[in-house]
Amino acid sequence: MTPLVRASIVALYPRTDALPGAEDCDLDAFLDRFRRETTPLMWIGVVAGSLLFQLSPLFTVFVPLPAFLLSRGLADRHARRISGSDVYLVRQSVFLVKLAAGMVWGAHPRVRDRFALPPMPDDPGTWRTR
Amino acid sequence: MSAGQHISFRAKDEVDLDAEVDFVVVGSGAGGATAAVTLARGGARVALVEAGAWRDPEDYPWSVYGGMRDLMEEWGAQVTRSRALWPVVQARTMGGTTVVNSAICVRTPEDVFDRWRREHGVDGLRDRVLAAEDQVEREISVEEVPQPARGRSNLLAKTGGDRLGWSDSHYMRRYTKGCEGAGQCLQGCRGGKKQSLNLNYIPEAMALGGLIVSSAPVDRILSEGTRAVGVTGRFRHPATRAEGTRFRVRAKKGVVVAASATHSPVLLMRSGVESPALGKFFRSHPGTGVFGCYEDVVDMNVGATQGWASVAFRDTPGLKLETLAIPPELVASRFAGGGAELMDRLAEYRHVAMWCLAVRAESTGTVSRPLFGTTPVVRYELDGADMLRFREGMKLLARQHFAAGASAIIPGVAGMPFKLTKDEVGLLDDAPLDPRRYVAVLSHLFGGCVMGRDPRSSVVDARGRVHGWEGLVVADASVIPTNLGVNPQHTIMGLAATFAADLLGA
Repeated sequence: MTPLVRASIVALYPRTDALPGAEDCDLDAFLDRFRRETTPLMWIGVVAGSLLFQLSPLFTVFVPLPAFLLSRGLADRHARRISGSDVYLVRQSVFLVKLAAGMVWGAHPRVRDRFALPPMPDDPGTWRTR
Repeated sequence: MSAGQHISFRAKDEVDLDAEVDFVVVGSGAGGATAAVTLARGGARVALVEAGAWRDPEDYPWSVYGGMRDLMEEWGAQVTRSRALWPVVQARTMGGTTVVNSAICVRTPEDVFDRWRREHGVDGLRDRVLAAEDQVEREISVEEVPQPARGRSNLLAKTGGDRLGWSDSHYMRRYTKGCEGAGQCLQGCRGGKKQSLNLNYIPEAMALGGLIVSSAPVDRILSEGTRAVGVTGRFRHPATRAEGTRFRVRAKKGVVVAASATHSPVLLMRSGVESPALGKFFRSHPGTGVFGCYEDVVDMNVGATQGWASVAFRDTPGLKLETLAIPPELVASRFAGGGAELMDRLAEYRHVAMWCLAVRAESTGTVSRPLFGTTPVVRYELDGADMLRFREGMKLLARQHFAAGASAIIPGVAGMPFKLTKDEVGLLDDAPLDPRRYVAVLSHLFGGCVMGRDPRSSVVDARGRVHGWEGLVVADASVIPTNLGVNPQHTIMGLAATFAADLLGA
């Protein structure tokens, strides 16, 4: 399922002239970590949202193909339309994918550099043991 | 008294933890930590049992991802079960939500005590709670956001509020000591400037001989008949979530439940407490943000995360307005759209400022036990009157942004244009009243174990004691029977200190 999640995230946060895309932000390492560390429910939600994203171009850009096979222009249009869907649960499902992806994209040094923010050290992941 | 002890996660193959103290406190947030230190200062041997891990500032995460993982309940993904799935924001760490909030200190308004007395028969608290709030302010440091830490977003908000002639437009008073405006409140203040309770009251309770147990979610309260005599549960590993060995902490004098407005009612339910009011009258201050777009760079993430507020509209229409800076990680999902269009919008990050409204909502909901797992089920939705307040708040924030010089606002309402200019802002007059159109969160939570005189409509009395039980006190936001219209940490701490003092005198 991870490749589908990855493809959805790349389509939602594509590389542009102004900003790096999710694919420029160590996405594979993030997804591996996210799948291991997050709650099962959260991961299921992100997978479900990604599946929906991949399987719905017929209803947004009227092309009977999964989203990862769309041209860049069609993928953009699909991403725009599905994330603004009138159907609340569709919108929320895509929102969940955006939320997870935003955490890797927005924290990446290349993105932070564009926003004049210093790079962040790794999270320590430690706690008091005694 | 001898120095205390901290016990963290114990694996399944280690020996169970069995301890006996005078009082056991469940939960280490604003209520639990305050109750624990009050009891410890009174000479009692106290155990403080917290579901999350104990993290010091050097352990705090830098990123939002780390914050969700290390500090938040359910990765911050707990949502209301209603038409709109609005997140229920709570921390799960030593110090509770005081670690991840913006440390905003507001004294309990007078009208709140009047309403408690009038509607719930709760009397005699005002002077004691306010005295306890005074003491908290003296002890853990409260200061107005220092000038160098204000940041441009907060300055703009003050300018906007002042230009509109609002009767209240102020820089916040917060539990901080020399805030440097690192913009990291939501991930915990690594500089140690925010005075979250894991830095002061909890170490003090330990130094006074207290037993601090972390990574230890309590399953149920132990009882003999209707007398609470302790708590039990299983350790849970902070990273892997693996179950550990069992712990049992017996309490000779009493159990104080301060596990939050969602967990306290459910813990009482699991423990055999029966009350027609248990889990009822859940309330919150739901909120959302409106972005302003400015020609000049704002860099909202530079400066205090929250530094400006207004209570000018607390009575009519029933709102609190605040600034809230969010980092790129969260703006990425908060902005509508996807693909190249979203990236174009995000490119403006340095030029936007987000300000928030919190509705003093009268709607009530419920908290109940889940069929599976341990996450409480929250059913809550704003009624029509509260949604009108919500919309009014958005209009006020829009006016404030334009008064501060914004060229446009981003309302974040599904179905409306992404941006509205000053000429278009009238569209907000007809903004939808369907909560599903908004991205909102429940940040201040109340109720579920509300206090009152009548056991048919309340769970605890005016001293936090569970009706019909001995030695069982609730001391957190779940006892608050009304909304407050202001940030609740101070009220929670004032109530907890008062209830704990009563326990010492009992």
